[in-house]
Amino acid sequence: MAAPSRQEIFKKVQQALVDALSVEEDEVREDATLTGDLQAESIDILDIVFRLEKTFNIKISQEELTPRDILSNPDYVSNRKLNPAGLAALKERVRHADFTKFAQDPDIDKILDVFTVGTIVNFVEAKLAAAK
Amino acid sequence: MKFVLIDRIVELESGRRIVAQKALSLAEEYLADHFPRFPVLPGVLMLEALVQAAAWLVREKLDFGPSLVLLKEARNVTYKSFVAPGQVLTVEAVCQDLTEPQSTFAARGHLDGREIVKGRLTLRHLSLAARGADWAETDAKLRARQRELFGLLWKGCPAGHAAGISLDK
Amino acid sequence: MRWIWFDRFEEFLPGERAVAVKNVTLAEDHLHDHFPAFPVMPASLMIEGMAQTAGILVGHARNFTEKVILAKIKQAVFHEVIRPGDQVRYDARIEHLTDAAATTHGEIRCADRLVGEVDLVFSHIDQNISGLEFPEENFVFTEEFMALLKTYTQRDTERITL
Repeated sequence: MAAPSRQEIFKKVQQALVDALSVEEDEVREDATLTGDLQAESIDILDIVFRLEKTFNIKISQEELTPRDILSNPDYVSNRKLNPAGLAALKERVRHADFTKFAQDPDIDKILDVFTVGTIVNFVEAKLAAAK
Repeated sequence: MKFVLIDRIVELESGRRIVAQKALSLAEEYLADHFPRFPVLPGVLMLEALVQAAAWLVREKLDFGPSLVLLKEARNVTYKSFVAPGQVLTVEAVCQDLTEPQSTFAARGHLDGREIVKGRLTLRHLSLAARGADWAETDAKLRARQRELFGLLWKGCPAGHAAGISLDK
Repeated sequence: MRWIWFDRFEEFLPGERAVAVKNVTLAEDHLHDHFPAFPVMPASLMIEGMAQTAGILVGHARNFTEKVILAKIKQAVFHEVIRPGDQVRYDARIEHLTDAAATTHGEIRCADRLVGEVDLVFSHIDQNISGLEFPEENFVFTEEFMALLKTYTQRDTERITL
């Protein structure tokens, strides 16, 4: 069976977000941030991850999105902010997110703000490709 | 326990939006179980407060026509923090749609301005008389009790009492 | 009133499924407010019955090492009004279980009729949040809940004849 196209993945991710967040389809655009534009709480992120696992038959560990070994590492974090080494390590690990805005104020409590709908779609697409 | 989860209605835009309050007290006996040495308002009672606020909006708008206003569906109700004894939960329900048999709401609760619960509600409105004329008396009793309770909760209500009653001469 | 919203486990398959029953009786005070002249079981308390049934299933699967609390109601739908004299049955299954959270799917039945469906997300809390300090011990799983689980697991010797 052929791998789903990015558009097909987007449609399913969009539906999962509509179901989990009680938002309208037209609010779920590629560039919408989950915690900002769509007002997702951290428990919603967990709910969404579980839904995606079920929909796409993949496993996603929380570590892939918010790696504790970086975010709780005293070599990388002080006063709850990432230092340049920490930020570099994070970018290396979490490939599909755009950290440009986050880099201006790398507060570890705001890490979830990085994730847009597009980031999630990229993430799922890479997972499905890797599974082949 | 008394299953009245709203202590006061503070704002009411007929058919559109209601703001109400639930004060939590250690006098509420179920708190001894929820939880021992960590008393907090159970999440489902936060939901019940949201439902009751929305139900009052429906009753006021429909002039207490439906004798039963019940939760049909709750969706994506997320809890972000706890309400402890001594605190007051402010609940707000915004009506998205209201017809004779049903209504939908976006509701939230906040504590000192911080949102701690939110969710989507669908309520069903029923009258027992629809089942048979011999239920009409029960409907009338239900309506009378609800009007009475509404009068107690909503100080702006024409039949309601003044906000502050002084004991001084 | 006690905050226990089911009466007995009927089935308990660790890590998988729990079924519990709750009798609805006029002896319960809250029914007389909900509503005067026509008591009905509040939907919110049926959600709690399911949350307690499912929460113990989740807690047990983690050896009761974490405080399992209700973090989100994904969906709770009700199809029928439940009245005094009815017995409702909460049937909960674990869908996902990780270090951080668990999700459950639940069906509520009354005399084999499907009267409700409740899907929940539980969070396993450890650290202090929102400025409230937690006691060290697991206050979520009270003696009463543990006793209900024990009654089920020792049900073969449950009947005490006089």
